[in-house]
Amino acid sequence: MPRKTRPVAIVGVGQTRHSSHREDVNQPELVHEAVRLAIDDAGLSLSDIDAVVTGNMEMFEGTHQPDMWQVLGNGAWGKPCLRVSTGGTTGSTVFCAADQLVASGLHDVVLAIGFEKQQEGHTTGGITAMADPLWARHLQTGALTGMAALEVIDEFGLDRARRAAMRYRVIMDQHAAKNPNAHRRFNLSFDMIDDLMQKSPPLVGELRLIHMCSQSDGAGAMIFAAGDRVASLNRRPPVWVQDHVTVHREETLALAGVATYDAQGRLETTTQRRAAEILLARNNIDKPVEEIDVFEMYDPSAWWGLSWIRDFLLLEGDEHLQMVERGDIGIEGRFPINPSGGVTATNPIGATALLRPLEAALQIRGDAGTHQVPRPIRKALASGFGGTLWTVLMLLSKDQPNN
Amino acid sequence: MPPKKLSDELVHREHMARFPQRWSTGPVMGKFLQALRDEKRILANVCPRCGRSQVPPREVCAVCRVEAMQFEEVGPAGTLRSFDVVFYASPDPVTGQSREVPYATAYVELDGSKGGATFWHELHETDMSKLRRGLRVRAVFEEDGKRTGAITDIKYFEIIEGGT
Amino acid sequence: MATKSDAFVVEGTFALPYNYFAGRVGSTWLVALRDERKIYGVRHPKTGKVVVPPRQVDERDFTDLTGDWVEVGPEGRVTGFTIIRYREPYQPLPLPYGLALIQLDGADTSLAHVVRGEDLNRLAVGLRVRAVFARERKASILDISHFEPV
Repeated sequence: MPRKTRPVAIVGVGQTRHSSHREDVNQPELVHEAVRLAIDDAGLSLSDIDAVVTGNMEMFEGTHQPDMWQVLGNGAWGKPCLRVSTGGTTGSTVFCAADQLVASGLHDVVLAIGFEKQQEGHTTGGITAMADPLWARHLQTGALTGMAALEVIDEFGLDRARRAAMRYRVIMDQHAAKNPNAHRRFNLSFDMIDDLMQKSPPLVGELRLIHMCSQSDGAGAMIFAAGDRVASLNRRPPVWVQDHVTVHREETLALAGVATYDAQGRLETTTQRRAAEILLARNNIDKPVEEIDVFEMYDPSAWWGLSWIRDFLLLEGDEHLQMVERGDIGIEGRFPINPSGGVTATNPIGATALLRPLEAALQIRGDAGTHQVPRPIRKALASGFGGTLWTVLMLLSKDQPNN
Repeated sequence: MPPKKLSDELVHREHMARFPQRWSTGPVMGKFLQALRDEKRILANVCPRCGRSQVPPREVCAVCRVEAMQFEEVGPAGTLRSFDVVFYASPDPVTGQSREVPYATAYVELDGSKGGATFWHELHETDMSKLRRGLRVRAVFEEDGKRTGAITDIKYFEIIEGGT
Repeated sequence: MATKSDAFVVEGTFALPYNYFAGRVGSTWLVALRDERKIYGVRHPKTGKVVVPPRQVDERDFTDLTGDWVEVGPEGRVTGFTIIRYREPYQPLPLPYGLALIQLDGADTSLAHVVRGEDLNRLAVGLRVRAVFARERKASILDISHFEPV
């Protein structure tokens, strides 16, 4: 377990309403909305912020050094400000960096920001442009792939796999309907599954438009404070950063990273499972489904979301499909996943991986409003996704950890 | 002066970011691309520690993180391990223009490659009903005199009819 | 074995389409350049300082700045400059020209813009300049075609 010099708590959060279009604000103005909400939520003033960590995806907006321009609205004027860009995981890496800046003793109060204005660029073109120019740029289609679907279909059969993925998507949409900040809210219901499987436009292989994450404009901000500052910041209960882990695969080629298959023809251990193994073991969590109360997962598509339940929760066989089929992952189910509606509903990419722990923190505080899980939440898991299937996995707690 | 009313008209600008780039292949990718161009051969490098192949080759083994400078020919035939049929037209970052769809990409485990590593390239079949994992496929090279030392020196992979 | 001599250079291009949205505050400023041929700033309600171009909030104290729009210029004073003579394919404007920071009359901040004139060697800190509006205006910063010495 990495040693922390001192415990760190999340003491304020803020996010914009997420939307496909925000012509009414420029980037600093968009970021400002989330920053002001977070500072107000913490009951702090701008002068209480010691340092700022901000991040977004490269090549999405076509502007240079957004961290510097955004000083007009992000609260970093005259303060240490650091920009993080780690692809899709950016928001989670911003989270980790802010936690570390406080845990190390360097700063007492750190503001973490993620944002994206996808309306200003072309998401899929931007991601493709990040690929190796000698090789993968000719082949890649951004983050769109049907390979996750192919894996599930080969293992469980076409009909069961398609229905489970669409059922997952409908549950996410039902959650998004409860979240006023969510971008896409379609009012889907289970009786529409057959229709959606036929009519939603195909993107790549079995991946259809309805399965895929949205392209959103939006921003999120979180404020981290040293444990000994928490008593004086008692506007809302603190949420403790218990632990986080980052697992990468080789950053060379494809969405599948080093796409190697084991003797059964299954993709070898994913970064999702590896991250879960490390994080859960060192926090003495043997049965994640029972010991964790809610999970905000970065689910870039319904197929990935479905498939990763097994990896993140260290399940075997078809347990993850059963969880979806039984409705366990619903907001009132045994193990709620993405009560916010998740990433298929809302995806301002540079903010997305920050919105996951942000939403998890709201659940622990009991402040999620109309999408609050209707039972006490003590422990929450949140994940980030990016690059060649990298994972950041974060564990938040209502109780102050001993580390 | 009366207070200024904020504009209802919201201004935006469209622009195309476009600039030339130069990339060095480095020794390892250079050797690989030259073998495609000059010999129509696909080279993998083999990790001296775990014995796994990497194709295209990279300077170090991605798992063991040791230098991998032993090269072996793999393919040109192999087994289709995964594939994507793309219906969504996104901009090609080389030109900024939308790509023609559908097109398909393949992850091929080339014959002779060790450790299950797959090779990513285009697949000359977009009819999903004809595609399944495990199909035998082979590389089709660009003709002599037209190869430039690029990925496109392999035009695509095609299904070997009757191959199992 | 691969050696340095195996490496070679590949020429390529990068091209991606982008959009930029000025937002409501920025649009108000640009539309006024186009329709009114006027340059506006916004006055900070507490410090009285006038910022050009306008921004939504003060970056130091988060005070809303959008309530008090004041006309500034069209004349002002150069507070810093350089002269662009270097020719390269991505240079958007005809050469040579002065790139100057100009504190417009009534403003407390400087605006970066182009200075043109018969003798660019006259360009100096303190030089008085005046905005020249473009005949065809498109709600763009180049609706001010350039500044010229008074």
